[in-house]
Amino acid sequence: MLNSYIKPRKKSAITQEIQLMFTFFSITILMLFITFVFLAFKDYTFAADSRDIHNERVSIEKNLQVMKSDISYIEKQKQFSQTIYTKNSVLKDSISNLFDLVPQRITLSEAKLLENGLILYGITPNKDVYNFMLQAPLRSIFHRTYSSFYPAENGWYRFVSTNYTDKEEELDIEN
Amino acid sequence: MLAKFFETLYHKAFVNIVVEGGQTSIYMELCSKTKVVESTQATFETDKVNSELIEFINSYIRETPYFYISVLDMAKDQGVIPTCEKNRLSYYYDLSSSEHKCSDKKWTYYTSKPEIYEIEKVYKEIGVDFIFSPFTLLSNFFKDKISSTLAMYIILQRGYISIAIFDSSELLYGDHLDMEHDASEDILISDDLDDDIELDLEDGIDLEDIDVDSDDMELIDDFGDIEDLDSIEEIDEFSEHKDVEEEFYETEEVIAESDEDSFNEDYQRFSLIQSSIGRYYKDIKYKSSFIENVYIGDGVGVSSDMKRYLEEEMFLNVYIRHLNLAEEVCELAKMEFN
Repeated sequence: MLNSYIKPRKKSAITQEIQLMFTFFSITILMLFITFVFLAFKDYTFAADSRDIHNERVSIEKNLQVMKSDISYIEKQKQFSQTIYTKNSVLKDSISNLFDLVPQRITLSEAKLLENGLILYGITPNKDVYNFMLQAPLRSIFHRTYSSFYPAENGWYRFVSTNYTDKEEELDIEN
Repeated sequence: MLAKFFETLYHKAFVNIVVEGGQTSIYMELCSKTKVVESTQATFETDKVNSELIEFINSYIRETPYFYISVLDMAKDQGVIPTCEKNRLSYYYDLSSSEHKCSDKKWTYYTSKPEIYEIEKVYKEIGVDFIFSPFTLLSNFFKDKISSTLAMYIILQRGYISIAIFDSSELLYGDHLDMEHDASEDILISDDLDDDIELDLEDGIDLEDIDVDSDDMELIDDFGDIEDLDSIEEIDEFSEHKDVEEEFYETEEVIAESDEDSFNEDYQRFSLIQSSIGRYYKDIKYKSSFIENVYIGDGVGVSSDMKRYLEEEMFLNVYIRHLNLAEEVCELAKMEFN
């Protein structure tokens, strides 16, 4: 307003129609942007979830491997324990059988169970009782049997019976 | 920021309206940032805003939202005051019902508020952005002379005369004259005179008592030769001025010869200017300086009689420039953006 008595009206290139058009475009662009942001967020969360799930899967796979190895170990252990149990049962039966083998007239003072053998210490009234009633069954069980006698004070005999089982022969028998 | 960007995309359209003597002149200019792209001028034989005029304006402003409609203020109650000091304004004119603005911190121009409201009301269909005073138009039109010389500057419009006296950019006096208003006043005065004559006649004047000497009759006959003498003097003075102000004269256009209608109008204009100069010299409010030069911005196509009257009757050096009012209003409108 340099020389004029009045101020000029405010001019704008944006007419009401253009304003309306801009409003519609703005709303559309805003909605598109919001949708884009929503989808981008969803995409990000999906990617994050996918990554987490993948990591979880890797960790589970690792755990699975560990568990598999544990299971195989446990199975081995179980097998081993069963083997021991079986062996123990066999041993128990063997001992039971052993004691069943020992006649009433012979008294055992010590028995040593070896991996492939048995050593028995005891007192017998005479050698014949031993030879006929104990050595005969032992010979049928073990491959090699050695017996030693020592006379006791009361006229009886102390004996040491050493019995061995040969492995090869054992395997041959199994086959 | 966005508005500035849009502004660079469009041209600016300046619609300049000058209403004078029952006519409306419209000058339109379509401007880019650096140059005038298109310009056109039309005159409508109406002083009202009709559908034809609106259609004409709309056909140009439709192209751009950045259009500015300027109107030259033709209010009767307008003028200038040779000061900008608020406490001294009322000494010259009561501005309580006027809109006023200070120009160059040296002088004030004013117009009546109802007239501004009236202009805004008249052009409410197309709207108005600028209303310019003829005095700002005058100062802009003669800006090359105002800054350096003491002279009287006149803008001639159809029905109005705007007068300002500047001494090296300092306004000494200004007056806005309404020719129609003053003409009607003259008629009223002449009616009064007729009444007086009638009264005198009632007293009884015998024409036979009037003694007319034959010498006096000869003198009356010699009056017929005055025009010839005047024309001889005019040629002499004109040649003198041409030596002094040759450069200025080169820009002037050839002044049209007078016809009967323009003779009367020119004489009326001369009378009004003469009376206004008389007021300037007599009124103690104004700082009087002797005026030798008169620069006239001719917006009506004044005849050579006008120039002759001023030169012969008032011993003034008269320089006339052709003036297209609407184009000058356009210049003012453009200045608003500089």
